[in-house]
Amino acid sequence: MRTIVPVIIAFLSGMVMILAFFFDPEKSILGELEQNVLSWVTIVGGFTLLLGVVSIFRVNLIAVKRRHDGWGYKLVTLISILAMAIPAIIPSKLSPLFGTGTDSIYDWLFNYLDAPMMATMFAMLAFYISSAAFRAFRARNTEATLLLIAATLVMLWRVPMGEIALAYIHPDLPQAINTYIMGGINMAVQRGIIIGAALGAAAMSLRILLGIERTYLGK
Amino acid sequence: MLEVLKIVAYTILICIPAAVLLYLTFKTDDRRYLFIAVAFYVVFPVVVTISFPTSLSPESITLYEAVDALPDSSTVLLTFDYYASTLAETEPMSRAALHHLFKKDCRVLTVTTIPLGGPTISERVTRDLAEEYDKVYGLDFVNLGYKANYVAVLKGMGSSISAIYPADNSGTPLSEIPMMADIKNYDDIDFIYVVADNGIVEYWISIVQSQYQAQVGCGVTAVMAPKIYAYVSSGQMTGLLGGMKGAAEYEKMVGHPGSATQGMGAQSMAHLFIIVSVISGNLMFFIDRKRGRKRKLS
Amino acid sequence: MSWVEIVQIWLVAFVTLSLFSFLYKDNPFYRLVEHIFAGLSAGYYVGLIYHSVILQTMIDPMFRNGEWWLIFPGILGALMFSRFSKNYGWISRISLAFVMGNTAGIFLLSELHGKVLPQVGATMRSLNPQHQADGWTGVLLSLLIVVGVVSTLIYFYFSKEHKGVLGGVAKVGIWFIMISFGAHFGYTVMARISLLIGRVQFLIFDFGNSIKELFG
Repeated sequence: MRTIVPVIIAFLSGMVMILAFFFDPEKSILGELEQNVLSWVTIVGGFTLLLGVVSIFRVNLIAVKRRHDGWGYKLVTLISILAMAIPAIIPSKLSPLFGTGTDSIYDWLFNYLDAPMMATMFAMLAFYISSAAFRAFRARNTEATLLLIAATLVMLWRVPMGEIALAYIHPDLPQAINTYIMGGINMAVQRGIIIGAALGAAAMSLRILLGIERTYLGK
Repeated sequence: MLEVLKIVAYTILICIPAAVLLYLTFKTDDRRYLFIAVAFYVVFPVVVTISFPTSLSPESITLYEAVDALPDSSTVLLTFDYYASTLAETEPMSRAALHHLFKKDCRVLTVTTIPLGGPTISERVTRDLAEEYDKVYGLDFVNLGYKANYVAVLKGMGSSISAIYPADNSGTPLSEIPMMADIKNYDDIDFIYVVADNGIVEYWISIVQSQYQAQVGCGVTAVMAPKIYAYVSSGQMTGLLGGMKGAAEYEKMVGHPGSATQGMGAQSMAHLFIIVSVISGNLMFFIDRKRGRKRKLS
Repeated sequence: MSWVEIVQIWLVAFVTLSLFSFLYKDNPFYRLVEHIFAGLSAGYYVGLIYHSVILQTMIDPMFRNGEWWLIFPGILGALMFSRFSKNYGWISRISLAFVMGNTAGIFLLSELHGKVLPQVGATMRSLNPQHQADGWTGVLLSLLIVVGVVSTLIYFYFSKEHKGVLGGVAKVGIWFIMISFGAHFGYTVMARISLLIGRVQFLIFDFGNSIKELFG
């Protein structure tokens, strides 16, 4: 019961999509069914995101209650969740500060706190990738040397200053890098990876539909 | 010739502090010296405004020409499939695309599959540009916002946009928006302009382009760009903008140089510095290894 | 520049510099901002899902258009929360299976129809002289593409030991893969530097101008 029912639901939910693919959605009942199932999936998908938030809130709340290490910071996280969420769910009819409109607290907190923080977190990676390039990027063997040469050429070619320098060596060199390295060798490898990964994803989808793959159920 | 002399001068400028800081990093094994160097080579060109002419890649030209070839007043779906973390690369692409689309009087429908910030970013950027071109919400552009589970969203919009998006981002039912009266599904959209920083761009191809024969072009972050070459080559993707350089190229083509064009000087200097650091790192490594061998022998 | 704008810019500058301070070493400013970031991001989802999913896709159509059956996906979604119960946690599998099955159904076709077939087709077409660019460069490019695709696929084929001809082709495959990964690394460096440029542009232009406005 605990496993068979979810497996049957997964099979039916997936089969609707597969069968609908072969029929004109406007002329068959399957089209309408497909549309309803997709609309339902977007609703259930929304709840899964909320589940994540509730889980974060719960974990942090427990840590604060039990005074775990760094509970003060966890309290800050809890206050931040509430500061963002509560004004957002109060109807904007009461005040433009509520809701998620352009003048709301929600919008302001995102634009002036959350977005710059996210951008800075990722900007810091520039330092670490430079450090990795200096300390770990060694031409130890043929493969590593090929990797190093390709990376150097692409780094040069992809910026105006490097492109001018390459064109000074030979006027067709920048175009050749684009054609043969990016559009030739790189493209061929990416294509191989795409074909392999897509075959794997299709096989995994089939396993899920047939109930062979059940790890997502916690089995 | 002048450009080459400029490059030689900048290379010397790069090499001196770079050599000192790289030597200190190597000797002390403290990477913070390297961090100082990276910060210097990004800050310096922004402060003194170092700039070089941006050349155009064939992939960017293809995208620009495909959009330019659309009849005026066409309907274009512009996606904001990126997080705030990559705004530096993607926002200039969206802005340049909107300049192009609004200039051509295209009707712009925006959508996002990103739950964290997608709707807010699309609202901010679109309204900003619409104001510049006196475009009216509901007539010239509509922001559909976000719906969960992007695979279902992309698939569902193929049959009916209003079934997936009963209302726009601010909650107005689509039936009350004049522009949406004749936009039912992908058949009524002339071009899909994807700006993305993640794998969602591939689903716009595998689900939307291949099943609904929609014309799709994209601007993606540099991390994503190498993969997209495969789709450009197979003809599934109409043009590609790769990273900040791609954004600078599109800015140049639409005649609105912005933050991406401005960033190209810093990008150039930082790349040259990293190349110098890779070469010197290897030199130091080989010298050290040679010395080690000699010591062993003696 | 109004004082509100100046306060906003200084707030952004504070969080930016607090996060950058981690490059020197871990410190309370970094930790504080990091936890605010985690909280605000989680809180953002609540507002978004409440408006775009619960209100716009479920509640409004139910009351406005009488689409009462939308209560069922709502119930399915609510069942997700049974995960927090030790005894009834298994109920959430029903909702999860519904989403997983649907996604698998879409993927089964789209991965084959939208990726495998077009990509294999394009590789085959590159062998056709009609689709090649003119001259020897076109032939060279086609050759690179076909050899690259086949050798990459063979490199990732682990069902047979890489020996003999298979081993030789796999060796060529790894050379191709290394060049592609090198190009990828080059692009990744570019991406990360671009993000740093974005923050530096903010600090120098916006924050710098606000300082000028205040003290200049």
